[in-house]
Amino acid sequence: MPNVAMKRPPRGQHYTEEQLKVQHLKPTLRQLSGYLLQKRWPLAAVFGFTVVTTVVSIIGTRLNGLIIDRYIRTDRLKLLAMVCLLMVGMYVVASGFNWLQSHFMVNIAQETSTRIRQDVFTRMQRLPLSYFDQHPSGDLMSRLTNDVDNINTALMETFIQLFTGVISVVGMLIAMLVLSPALTLVVLLASTGTYFLSRQIAKFTQTAFRQQQAELGQLNSEIEETLSGKKTIQLFEQADQVLTDFRATNQRYVHHAYQAQVFSGALGPLNNMLNNLAYALITVLGALAILHGYQGITVGIMFAFLIYMRDFTGPIRNMLDLINTLQVSIVSAERVFAVINAPAEQDAPHVVMPTLTGTIALQHVTFGYQPEHPILHDISLTAKPGEMVAIVGPTGAGKTTTINLLTKLYPLTAGTILIDGHPIDQLDRYALRRQIAIVQQEPFLFSGTIQANIRLGRLDASEADIVAAAKAANAHDFIMQLPAGYQTQLSDRQQSLSQGQRQLISIARAFLAQTPILILDEATSAIDTKTEMVIQQAMDQLMQQKTSFVIAHRLSTIQKADQIIVIDQGRIVERGTHAHLLAQKGLYWRLYRSQFQGKDV
Amino acid sequence: MFQIIWQHTRRWQRVCLFAAPLVMLMEVFCDLQQPTLMSKIVDTGLAGSGHPQFILQTGGVMLLIALVGACSGSGCNALASYASLKMGQRLRNHLLSLALATRNGHDLSTPTLITRITNDVIQMQNLVMTLTRSLVRAPFLLLGGIVMAFLISPRIAWILAIVVPVLLLFMGLVIRHSVPLFTKMQQAIDRINRVMRETLLGIKTVKSFTLENQQQQLFDQINQQVQTSSVAAQASVIILAPVVTLALNLSIVAALWFGGGLHASHLITTGQIMAFVNYMIQITTAMINTVNTVSSLSRAQTATARIQAVLDLPQDAEPTATVALPTDTTLRFEHVNFAYPGGENVLTDIDFELPAGAKLGIIGTTGSGKTTLVDLLTRLYDPTSGRITIGGVPINQLSLAQLRQQVAVALQNSVLFSGTIASNLRYGKETATDAELVVAAQAAAAADFIAARPGGYQAQVTQRGNNFSGGQKQRLNIARALVAQAAILVLDDTTSAVDLATDAHIQQALRQVRQGKTTIMIAQRIAALQDSDLILVLDHGHIVARGQHATLLQESAFYREVAVAQLGKEVLTDA
Repeated sequence: MPNVAMKRPPRGQHYTEEQLKVQHLKPTLRQLSGYLLQKRWPLAAVFGFTVVTTVVSIIGTRLNGLIIDRYIRTDRLKLLAMVCLLMVGMYVVASGFNWLQSHFMVNIAQETSTRIRQDVFTRMQRLPLSYFDQHPSGDLMSRLTNDVDNINTALMETFIQLFTGVISVVGMLIAMLVLSPALTLVVLLASTGTYFLSRQIAKFTQTAFRQQQAELGQLNSEIEETLSGKKTIQLFEQADQVLTDFRATNQRYVHHAYQAQVFSGALGPLNNMLNNLAYALITVLGALAILHGYQGITVGIMFAFLIYMRDFTGPIRNMLDLINTLQVSIVSAERVFAVINAPAEQDAPHVVMPTLTGTIALQHVTFGYQPEHPILHDISLTAKPGEMVAIVGPTGAGKTTTINLLTKLYPLTAGTILIDGHPIDQLDRYALRRQIAIVQQEPFLFSGTIQANIRLGRLDASEADIVAAAKAANAHDFIMQLPAGYQTQLSDRQQSLSQGQRQLISIARAFLAQTPILILDEATSAIDTKTEMVIQQAMDQLMQQKTSFVIAHRLSTIQKADQIIVIDQGRIVERGTHAHLLAQKGLYWRLYRSQFQGKDV
Repeated sequence: MFQIIWQHTRRWQRVCLFAAPLVMLMEVFCDLQQPTLMSKIVDTGLAGSGHPQFILQTGGVMLLIALVGACSGSGCNALASYASLKMGQRLRNHLLSLALATRNGHDLSTPTLITRITNDVIQMQNLVMTLTRSLVRAPFLLLGGIVMAFLISPRIAWILAIVVPVLLLFMGLVIRHSVPLFTKMQQAIDRINRVMRETLLGIKTVKSFTLENQQQQLFDQINQQVQTSSVAAQASVIILAPVVTLALNLSIVAALWFGGGLHASHLITTGQIMAFVNYMIQITTAMINTVNTVSSLSRAQTATARIQAVLDLPQDAEPTATVALPTDTTLRFEHVNFAYPGGENVLTDIDFELPAGAKLGIIGTTGSGKTTLVDLLTRLYDPTSGRITIGGVPINQLSLAQLRQQVAVALQNSVLFSGTIASNLRYGKETATDAELVVAAQAAAAADFIAARPGGYQAQVTQRGNNFSGGQKQRLNIARALVAQAAILVLDDTTSAVDLATDAHIQQALRQVRQGKTTIMIAQRIAALQDSDLILVLDHGHIVARGQHATLLQESAFYREVAVAQLGKEVLTDA
């Protein structure tokens, strides 16, 4: 009996070859089945239910034929009533099983993808920073979202449909062969015809589709570029030119899209036609066979075949689509597992760390993102508790890299860093990082309230602590001017705060952290002058009684520093106080005049 | 919805809009004939000793009808594709030209506009396809199936009269119940995506402040919500398939049962019962497709509303030139006030005169109205009151083309367009010679890095100039404004992303190029402003101090503080 599947119509997705390329099939499947095996009993139940519903559907159809032959044509109404009652019972049970099957599958798929998502996220947070340097955030994001989604779809739809498909195709094939090999041949011809027709048309339209996608990409990026640069286009009176170009692209897209759609859209009607042809052939051949008493074919058998045929070509056509989807999902799984399996940050065993006084010593530190290409060479320096060290140098000299090493964001290639005499590679990184507060050049704020963002400095801080920190950071005043004060929601992408204000919040965070060591990266670009002075004041306040490292871009900072380290091409080239270094008239002197005083040299 | 479609189609496309559904009806009609013909073969062809001739003839008709159906289906698709794609093409052109023509601030942000012109137009295209194809096929197969079933035998077709309405109602209710659940699921997914994106982008902050545990807790909590809401949403619809299948199967059993009774009383034939069951299957499939199509329409509804909002953008009348372009470039702002519609004053009583060839410097905090002042000069906005004149001519008497020929602006957020470096620089003046480009690039300190690129001035610029650093983009942006060789040059904080040394170099070079040009320079760095003939200090839309560098050092506390912070205490003694 027909089994109605409430599935989405085929999506007509066209995958690029890239998407369909699986590199490590076996390990990927093993890992994926590892997740599924945790659900082996529910899965076994799903398979059991599927077998029952499919078998009921096959038997039901056969019974239809028998009813026609044995009871209706011979008017045996009592027996008819009994068989009908039997069928009602069968169908009710089968539908119940059908529901249970979906119910179990939804739970299996959702629980599994929740687990996968959790595993990716947990691992992602533990990956070393170098991993994020090598993998663009957009790519990682799409692994976390789209790829996990694809796995979910594979589990939810593809898997179950493929299984049902195989069982019904095999089951029906057997049932049909038993009934009539000749009519089975007609059905098989229609199915293979459908298959080859789809393949042929797909091949034909693939080129057209690829062109359509390429043109669409071009079209969309032109739209995006035009609208992003709208003001410039208006000011330079270029709208007419831009629109003329756009019309041409638009025309090209429509041209290719039309070719692609006309051919691919014909697929539906053509398949429908093949079905109708098979329907007609079964009727005609069946009727002729009945007349000639060939192979014992009856009207009832013909009737059963007419229904089998629809149920047979459907799953076959579907399974072809599903194999494509499955392939995409496996590639997705591979991408997701690549993150889960990436090696996590190395760490020393947890040691109890005393509160630090903040003596920091770098001894012959050498570092390269790839150890064979060092970018910092033999850096040695010592900062005593409470000292302020300013790091200056031309762009790309290695200033940021140097301070990243202090918090174990990257492993050293050679040399050691000692904090209060402890080599940092023997310290647990959480313990170490809790002793060091960082103010980044472009601070990152999370969506949530301003209060929550400041609290990130110390999670157990009270509201009063937060206000105190904000006041110390000169952030309190502007926060109070916002409509909701500390409860102002910062939205996801659309940042409502200026860069200066964001920096003040991150300074408040650092105040709250109350660490003995501080790292500051001053903003390079000239932000709003007034705010800049407010920031400067807050930073001075923050640095009091702390050992601080500052990547300096401002005059007042270097003038106040206890020692200035001048870095060029990964080496310390000069060091000393402001006055001492100016007197040397070396690189520092030149930097001072150009970078800090803005004089053309 | 229909209005948008109608307005963006022309003669042949409109014909297609009507022809496609008609052709589709032909396919539906063909599909519906098959079971009836089959029943004739069974009842007539097999009657008595059989009529092979009749069987073959009817079979031939069935084949022919299958062919006609396929042709109609493909034909409908071709017509519908043509209408929908052409409609999309016109709509895109129209929307983009509207978006480029609006001047005044409206509440559609750039990303929103982009989504509307890209995705929403595609949605509209699909809508036209649906309207002319799927929305015709499924309901008519449903209706036609019912009609055919009644024609076959009204005596058992009453089963349909019960089953069809009940099932339609059931499906409608289930879908209505599930929509809010799916919305909830989507919201949970959005939340978890946000947490993931933020952790990813802020990974350095997370690690530095050891926030891993707190992020993990947050994530686990939302991840659980995603699971619960997804299960709830999907559980609400998985009831559909079993129930529809059951209803169909039970109706078939009913048809066989009642059909058997009628057959015994010779009121129905075997072939008719068989045809009826076949129609029942067709009807059920059509019913599911109808419900799917109708629910997909609601998505298109949102797209339509979003497109309508773009079509409704206010359009300003383009002023036509009434006077000749003045040769004198003396610039005057006369008591100019400006507020965005419904907002507070952004600029209040701006009043100054800048003699031709002089340099005006503007300094002030973020939000003090510096950029807005420039927008008024280029008429991206018009003042609420007061007026602006160039050479004594009010700028609203000039056409936009005239005005913008006179004023070249380098914007704060510099945008480059895909193409070559040269094509970007020629934005200012299409006829500029290569030599002119080089001169401009040199003045903007861009010549060196341009020369270092393979291809030099012919080097490719990718979308939005993403293959250039912020500082390089700003320098090309300045060069582009210089190529225009307009009499008035506006530089709006154009060197914020270049280092002080390069900035100093640019300022030096600009001094040469702007000889004889009226210049407005907005900057944060005193070094760039100190040679101005007039400097305005802006605060909250008011001019709070004005004068030359030396004067302001004495008179403006703000200016003095900034100068000392940037240039050291010596600046006071130097002056």
